[in-house]
Amino acid sequence: MTNKTLNRRAFLGATGAAVAAGAVAGTPFVARAAGGKVVIVGGGVGGATTARYLKLADPNIDVTLIEPLATYHTCFMSNEVLGGERSLDQIAVSYDGLKKMGVKVVQDMATGIDAGAKTVATKSSGTFAYDRCVVAPGISFKLPQADGVSMAMFDQVPHAWKAGPQTALLRKQLEAMNDGGTVCIVAPPNPFRCPPGPYERASLIAHYLKHHKPKSKVVIVDTKDKFSKQGLFTQAWKRLYGFGTDNAMIEWIPAAKAQDLVKIVPGQVKTDFVDLKADVINYIPPQVAGQIAFDAGLANDKGWCPVNKQTFESSVHKNIHVLGDASVAAAMPKSGYSANSQGKVTAVAIASAFAGSEVPTPSYVNTCYSIAGTDYGFSVAAVYRYDAAKNMIAGVKGAGGLTPGDASAEDLKREVQYAYSWYDNIVKDIWG
Amino acid sequence: MSLSDAQAAGMAPASMLANTCNACHGPNGSTYGPATPSIAGTNADYIADTMKAYKSGERKSTIMGRIAKGYTDDEIMAIAKHFAGQKLMRQVEQKTDDKLAMKGQELSRKYCQDCHEKDGYTGIDYPALAGQPVPYLSYQLADFLSGSRNIEENPAMSAKEKRKKIRNLTDLEKAEGDAGFQAIINFYGSRK
Repeated sequence: MTNKTLNRRAFLGATGAAVAAGAVAGTPFVARAAGGKVVIVGGGVGGATTARYLKLADPNIDVTLIEPLATYHTCFMSNEVLGGERSLDQIAVSYDGLKKMGVKVVQDMATGIDAGAKTVATKSSGTFAYDRCVVAPGISFKLPQADGVSMAMFDQVPHAWKAGPQTALLRKQLEAMNDGGTVCIVAPPNPFRCPPGPYERASLIAHYLKHHKPKSKVVIVDTKDKFSKQGLFTQAWKRLYGFGTDNAMIEWIPAAKAQDLVKIVPGQVKTDFVDLKADVINYIPPQVAGQIAFDAGLANDKGWCPVNKQTFESSVHKNIHVLGDASVAAAMPKSGYSANSQGKVTAVAIASAFAGSEVPTPSYVNTCYSIAGTDYGFSVAAVYRYDAAKNMIAGVKGAGGLTPGDASAEDLKREVQYAYSWYDNIVKDIWG
Repeated sequence: MSLSDAQAAGMAPASMLANTCNACHGPNGSTYGPATPSIAGTNADYIADTMKAYKSGERKSTIMGRIAKGYTDDEIMAIAKHFAGQKLMRQVEQKTDDKLAMKGQELSRKYCQDCHEKDGYTGIDYPALAGQPVPYLSYQLADFLSGSRNIEENPAMSAKEKRKKIRNLTDLEKAEGDAGFQAIINFYGSRK
């Protein structure tokens, strides 16, 4: 043993002692050598982005991603699959990109998180220990006590709010429907995944019907009396689908008329005020955080997970971060871009903690495109800052907002091309 | 502004700010297309000038004006320097016409390369055009020709640069018409 080695050991020992003292004094993060063990539950946008950006921040961080699906289908652009503009394969992504970066992808279902023991249990792959856990489970459905509404119903009445086989089922029903039929979309109460989604869906289904079954129509039975990008959607519907006329291909029944409780009978959607015969019913249920968030005790009484918005660390359990749709991250909407942005902030927070450095000021963005028909797209954007005093994410005043109502036809056309670019680039940014 | 200055001011680090752009402009600012441009490897002052022009409304856009307004000038410069330091990957898969592209190369050397040097590959002084998405190249040329991208009012260009650019675009339009622009778009779009 040389002196050099001895000195190095002495140095490491001294550092260790300083760290212990710091921890006692209340240092927020325990300093350690680079690296650390992260277990991520959920391989959707939030989980996969965090995995990728952790590896980019420090390849020595040991990242395990637990996801039951071998192939993930993006919810974004799944409305184009319903409209027949895109195949299901064109919204499929694999985990090969993450695997190539050294992320350990475990195809299994996480069944529980022990915040005390810092372990994640799985259905059939055993238990995984972590220094930091990232919970990105997306949404689960909270079905109301109403006639005909049950989980079993979704085999006939698809929600198609998690893309994949449900998207394929709804598309198949639309293809099988006779001309002159009625498609009913039951839109969920706030808050829910992808606020403009049900209305983009109505648009792209109407787009399909207009070209293939022109005597048919889409009726939205809403549980709300207003919705995201409403002005832009209704303007598009007037221009493209006769909205508000006798020949309207899209009708919207707001909450005032629909009431909260929607009953589903085969071929029929009923509320206190509506009794609608429908050939295809797309029931988008009320939503809460993914099930594992409840099992791990991370959710509040409203069904969503409160977090520190600088780090996305749970307000309930230390060393567990919750992001994406499952988290309470207002003013950010529950969108794909939000989850992607939050994944980057979370990765930096965890890497900083492992490196023993201060967590830097975060920055967040949301950019969300909707396509209403041929050459007709629009967007909403926001740049956000962190308000430490209030633990809030606030949009920068004077920035962001919607495509203007007087946007030119050329700009609406370009926004479709930028929406496609958004898709191609965000998928690479998330899954590699 | 040094890193410690940035932290003292509570500013997010450059990579934190810039990474929020990747989901539209591609990982590290290199696009996969089909329309949004790459910003990697572009001169930092050019990116910053462009963002400020979006912010003020001087340069029209679909969405960038709304986004640019969310950042201070210091943040814009930090983002610009970050992307200037990234390697540009030309990875957009797009169809171009070889014959048109050959004609476009000839025309670009006559009308474009006074500024967009080395067949549009270099982004040292002006933005690199080689490998940019065809729709984006088309949009920008259309906007120059319609005047909605007003060269005269671009505060980042010198009087001499403005004269040169307007003359070259006018001469190209007179001599070759729309086919000339299509050829040049095909040329730059076809570069790997």
